[in-house]
Amino acid sequence: MQKKPFQLVLSAALLVTLSACGSGTTKPSSSSTATTAPATSPQASTATAAATGPKTKLTYWTNDRGASDHIKAEVAKYNAENKDNIEVEVTIMADNYEQSLDVAFASNQAPDIIKMSGSNFAPFVKKGYLEPLDSFMTPDFKKRFTNLIIDDGNKVDGKVYSLPNYGITWRLIYNVDLFQKAGIAAPPKTLNEMVEVAKKLTVAGKDIGAYGFAGNFKNNGGFSRTADPIVALSTGNLSGFNFKTGKFDFSSHIPMLEALRKMKTDGSMIPGFELLDIDPLRAQFAEGKIGMYINHASEPGVYKNQFPAKIKWSAAPVPTIDGTINGAAQFSNATVWLGISAKSANKAKAWKFLENMYSPDVLKTYQEDSVGISAVPDVIAVAKKPSFPNMDLFIPNKYDALYPVVPAVTPEGKNVGDEALRYILEGGDVNKITADLAARYNAALDKARQAGSTTNKPMPDFDAKNLQGTMAK
Amino acid sequence: MKNRKHALAPYILTFPSLFLTLALSIYPIGWAMRYMFYSYPGYGKMTFIGFDNFRRLASDEMYWHSVLNTLVYAAGKIVLTLPIALILAVILNQRLRGRHLLRAIYFLPTVISTAVMSVVFYVIFNSYNGILNQYLVKYGIVHANVDWLGTKFAMLTMIIIAVWGAIGNYMLLFLAGLQNIPKDVYESAAIDGANGWKKFFYVTVPMLGPVLQMIVLLAITAALKGYESIMVLTEGGPIGKTEVMYLYVYKLFFPISSAGGAVQQQIGYGSAVGFVSALIVGIVTLGYFYLSRRLNNLQD
Repeated sequence: MQKKPFQLVLSAALLVTLSACGSGTTKPSSSSTATTAPATSPQASTATAAATGPKTKLTYWTNDRGASDHIKAEVAKYNAENKDNIEVEVTIMADNYEQSLDVAFASNQAPDIIKMSGSNFAPFVKKGYLEPLDSFMTPDFKKRFTNLIIDDGNKVDGKVYSLPNYGITWRLIYNVDLFQKAGIAAPPKTLNEMVEVAKKLTVAGKDIGAYGFAGNFKNNGGFSRTADPIVALSTGNLSGFNFKTGKFDFSSHIPMLEALRKMKTDGSMIPGFELLDIDPLRAQFAEGKIGMYINHASEPGVYKNQFPAKIKWSAAPVPTIDGTINGAAQFSNATVWLGISAKSANKAKAWKFLENMYSPDVLKTYQEDSVGISAVPDVIAVAKKPSFPNMDLFIPNKYDALYPVVPAVTPEGKNVGDEALRYILEGGDVNKITADLAARYNAALDKARQAGSTTNKPMPDFDAKNLQGTMAK
Repeated sequence: MKNRKHALAPYILTFPSLFLTLALSIYPIGWAMRYMFYSYPGYGKMTFIGFDNFRRLASDEMYWHSVLNTLVYAAGKIVLTLPIALILAVILNQRLRGRHLLRAIYFLPTVISTAVMSVVFYVIFNSYNGILNQYLVKYGIVHANVDWLGTKFAMLTMIIIAVWGAIGNYMLLFLAGLQNIPKDVYESAAIDGANGWKKFFYVTVPMLGPVLQMIVLLAITAALKGYESIMVLTEGGPIGKTEVMYLYVYKLFFPISSAGGAVQQQIGYGSAVGFVSALIVGIVTLGYFYLSRRLNNLQD
C-alpha cells in the first residue's frame, strides 16, 4: 500500500514521457550534429517589424562547414534586407549530410534550398530531390553561366538543376622553412625531382621529426588528391578516364604509383600516412612536420583559421610526370552549388533567394573572403584579390581548367584508391594492377551506359591541351 | 471466466513486444530481403537480376577477406575479454573496500560513445605522434615508432580497443551470475579443504555454467557484428586489414566519398551481402549452441 503514491507518480511520469514522444511537428528537423542559424541580426528584427503579412520561412541546408561564418552572415544580411518578406533559416550540417537529406525527403521534411556537390548531384537528381531551374532563369541570368553549364555536371537530360559558385585549384603545398633547411631552392617540377626532394627533406628534417611527403590515404581520397592533378596536367586523363576514347585507362597513373612507392620505400613518407585523414595531415603540416603534399585552394583558409601555420609555407603548380604539359589541371567542384527542393512549397520564393545568392555582389565575397576561387566570369571580373595569405597562389593560371564530367561508376572489387594504396605499401606488378583496374572500371561503365545511368560518350576530338587558357591567359 | 482471463493474459502482455518486433524488425528484414534479387542504387528503377548478386558475392574476394577478418577479430576479442572479465568479477565479488566504485569504473567504457572512445584511442595509438609511441620511445622500449594502425598491427590494435570496451559489460554479467551461487556451497568446499583456486575451478566455474553459456553466446554475436570503432579509426584499412563483415555491408549501403567523386549506393548487392553475413553469424551462433548443449549432455 505504501508504494501506491510512488506508482502513481511513476505512471504519470511515463504518460508525460510517452505523450512527449508522440507530439510531432512538421517543422524540418536538423541533425544533432548540425547548427542552425535563424535570422539573428538586429537588422533582421527591424525588417520583420517593417514587413507586412506573414513571412515566408525557407529552410536552407548546407554541409559547407568551411564557409559557415560566411554563409550565416550572407543569410542574415538577406533576411534583414530583402523586400519579399522572406526569412531564411540556414542549417550547417556535419557528417552524414546525404543520409540526413534522404531521411528528410522520406518524411516530407526536406529543406527548401539544398547545397550540393559534384559527388551527390547526380544521385539527388535521380532521386527526384531537385527542381529544374530553367523556368525561373531569365535569359540574362542564364547568359552569365553560359560556359559553365555542363552535361551531367549541372544539367541532366536538358534541364539545369544548379549553377556553380566557386571551385578549387590544385597545387603542391610546401614547407618553405624545411626547403631552406635542406638547401632546396625551388619546388620540384617533375616526378623524379619530387621523389628526390622528398628524400632530401626527410634527411634535413630528421632532427625535428619531419618527413618529405604526405598524403591523406585513409579512405581512398589521398591517392586521387595526389595523383589526379599531376596526371591530368601531364596527360589530359582525369581520374583515369580518357575522354577521347570514352574509356578508363589507368596506365597513365603508373609513373605516379611508382613515385609514391619509391617515397614509401625510401622512408620519405610520413609514418602512418596510410591511415592519415586530411585534417590530421594539415595539423602536422602546420607544425612543420611535413615537407610537401598536394591539395587545393581551401588551404589558405585552413592555415589562417583552423590550424594556424607555425611555419612559412607556399604553394606551386603541381609537377608533371616528365616536365611536359599535355593537358590541364582540373578546376574542381565548380559545377554545382545551390538548388531548390522539388518538394518545396515555396519554389518561387526559394528562387528569389537563390537569385540573390548567385548575384555578383554576393558571389564576389566568396573569393574576396577567401572561401573559394570564383568560377563565374562576371564575378572574377569584379572580385578583389583574396584576403588570406597565399590565396593568390591558387588563382587559376592558364593550365587550370574545367573538365567534362567523368562518368560515375562503381566497379566490382577493389577501387583505384584501394589498389593504389596496396601497391604503395606492398608493391606488385603495376602493369597488371592498372590493367585489371581498367577492365573492371570499363565493365562497370558499360553496364552504366546500358542502364542509361550515364550519358557519357567518347569525344574523339577531345584534346585537354585545348582547355588551356580557358580560365586565365 | 476467470480461467479464460488467465489464459489470455500472457498473450495480451506479450502482444506489444510481439507487435513491435514484427513491425520494426521482421517486416523491415523481409522488405530488405527482396532487394537481394535486384540491382538498385537507392533511386529510380529497380532491375530484377535474379541470383546475380549472389554470384558476385561468391567471387567477391574483398567480402570473404572481411569474413576471415571478422572471425579473427571475434576470436581475439572473446578469448581475451571473457577470462579477464571473469577474473575481475570474481575479485570484485569479494568484500573489498571500494568494490562498488571499481565496478563502476570498469563498467564506464560500456556507456561511452564508441565514436568518442575511438577518437581517444587514435590519440593513443596514432603511429606518428601517438602517446603510446612517445612513451615507448622515451623509455627505450622501442627505438622507432611502432605503426600501431599500420598493416602489421592494425587488427591487434582493434582487438585491444574492443576488449577494453567490452570487459565492464561482461564483468557485470558474470557478477550477476556469481551472486546467484549459494554461499553454503563455498562453505562446504572450505570444510572439504578447498583453497581459492580449487573453489574457483571446482565451484565457481561449474556453478556459473548456464550463465557462462549465455554470456559466451552474447559475446560471439556481439563480436561478429561489431564494427563501429573500426569504422571510426581505420574505416577497414589499411588496405582492408581491418575490414569486417558488417563494415563492408555498411559501406555498400552508405559509400564513403572522400576522393570527391560521385558515389553510388548498392542497395541490392548490400542486401545480399547483409543476408549472407547474418546467415554466417547465425550459423556460428547455432554451432556454438549445439556444441555447448552436447557438452552439457555429456556432463549429465
